Amino acid sequence: MKRSMALPTKKQFDYIVCMITGAILVVLVICSLLVGKYPLSIAGLVADEGIQRKVFWTLRFSRTMMAVWGGCCLGITGFAFQTIFRNPLASPDIIGVSSGASAGAAAGILFFGGSLAVTMSSFFGAFCAVAAALLLARMDMSRKNGSIVLAGIAVHALAQTVLMALKLTADPEKELASIEYWIMGGLNQITLYDMKIPAVLCLLSMVVLFLFHRQVILLSADSAEAKMLGVDVGKMQMLILLISTLAVACTISLTGLISFIGLLAPHIARLLTKNNRKITMLLSGLMGAVILSLADILARSVASTELPISIFTSLIGAPFLIYLIGKRRDV
Amino acid sequence: MMHFFAVEHLSAGYARKEVLRDISFQTQQGSLVGVLGANGSGKTTLLKAICQLVAHSGSCLLEGEEIGTFSARNLARKCAYIPQRSGIEIDISLLDVVCMGFNSSLGILQQPTKEMKARAMQALQQVGLAERADENYRLLSEGQKQLCIVARTLVTDAKLFLLDEPESALDIQHRSRLMALFRDTVKERNACVLAALHDPNLALHWCDKLLLIQDGTILEQLYPKKDSLKKMEQAFAKLYGDVSLLSCKDAYGNEHLVLFHITEEGICSR
Repeated sequence: MKRSMALPTKKQFDYIVCMITGAILVVLVICSLLVGKYPLSIAGLVADEGIQRKVFWTLRFSRTMMAVWGGCCLGITGFAFQTIFRNPLASPDIIGVSSGASAGAAAGILFFGGSLAVTMSSFFGAFCAVAAALLLARMDMSRKNGSIVLAGIAVHALAQTVLMALKLTADPEKELASIEYWIMGGLNQITLYDMKIPAVLCLLSMVVLFLFHRQVILLSADSAEAKMLGVDVGKMQMLILLISTLAVACTISLTGLISFIGLLAPHIARLLTKNNRKITMLLSGLMGAVILSLADILARSVASTELPISIFTSLIGAPFLIYLIGKRRDV
Repeated sequence: MMHFFAVEHLSAGYARKEVLRDISFQTQQGSLVGVLGANGSGKTTLLKAICQLVAHSGSCLLEGEEIGTFSARNLARKCAYIPQRSGIEIDISLLDVVCMGFNSSLGILQQPTKEMKARAMQALQQVGLAERADENYRLLSEGQKQLCIVARTLVTDAKLFLLDEPESALDIQHRSRLMALFRDTVKERNACVLAALHDPNLALHWCDKLLLIQDGTILEQLYPKKDSLKKMEQAFAKLYGDVSLLSCKDAYGNEHLVLFHITEEGICSR
């Protein structure tokens, strides 16, 4: 008897896409664990070669895990930012998180030194920037969605000025180079010890964002419409913004600035699923993890010296941004 | 006597510009009230002030309770609002848009139940979009988007429906279908509809009461089923200029009121 092949339903298709992306991520994770200046092999690791195991646990495992959860976090928060700001080009940058973190990191490098101090300082900078943006937005009596974006632009300008002033006072030989390197982003100096607290906070933030998915979607309507649907718009927007910022600040305080993933990953996920359900939010995270893992593998394997990750994320992100602008004109 | 819905001395505006001045009116349960007026006369501002979306003075009482004291959730439970154009611009299915209407009955972390989804499908059926439930809302025509938002309103347990030009993007067939749907809904639920409309003929046919608004004040309150043609014609003339109101019968013998606008070139229907 002939059996006709049924096409997958929309939901099944979304799950298949998620599983394929998950499988690609697993392959990239394996590559990331094995590829680098000191190549590792599974046989070598199993055979208990001292150096291989040491390299694996002290260098590869931490940076691979960082690429996975960092990318995942940037993808999911990018999805939340774009949806609640009703702006397809929105990302953590627009409310000053990244510029605040940069200024904070520069202050850390100049005044404290040491990786933990730089991490804490950039985290503090990111939070100060968001607090300032939220405060400025609250001063706008119209309380429109655009207020936070305008406040973000003001905070970004202020943070850039602080960063410039800090760079001027930096020693050009050592500190200035460190600041520039941090701004370019990278996963090479991250240890499991550094990751512990940020990873837990980030994981918690992502779980909460998933639980709040329905509220995120309700905020995609304009504020008057959302209010008439029973959403306490101001409070809910603030809550989701703070949770997202916490997650982003936890990530970039360790990795330095990583461009475009928060913008790129949710768009690729939406292009594939053509919806904004929870599965698309999950796919945004998986896409973010895939892009960051791939960029990290390339950063440490295409040249004799390790390159900044943002070079590769920007190489993918910039053409995609141009494509998005073109697509919006069509619409 | 306590009215089902009463607006008392309502004034509202934006920044320093006053758009509505001292508006007062009452409506009864089961009634469909039309708000008519030229562009910029204050129809939308009136609905937004009742929804607490613009700054205002005066009071809006629903079943004796001041609407301004309602929490966001309680406001959504008791008042359903259809804006001129929905702000949803993301890829989302029609079913998910309709399920948004259940938000006020759900906890923050709760998801719509199977029963809710079945009710949402029923509402989509009522507006003729059930077969497109899984399609992308963003890709619908403006008229279909409007019908989907109407379905979202129908799944609520609201007592007061505030509709801002719900007919503007609809063809003649869907306009009548929409008004019939709301007439049946208010009768079934003992609720009330306040609809800002552009088409006086649609308003004359379906509404129990009409509020004619000019320059932010109520010019006249009309009852199409009770008032004389002459009285209504005079009232409409104040709003639209030279008009003529006629009563005519359709092929089934049903009586209709038709308003004509008289111009220098001749007569045209409003």
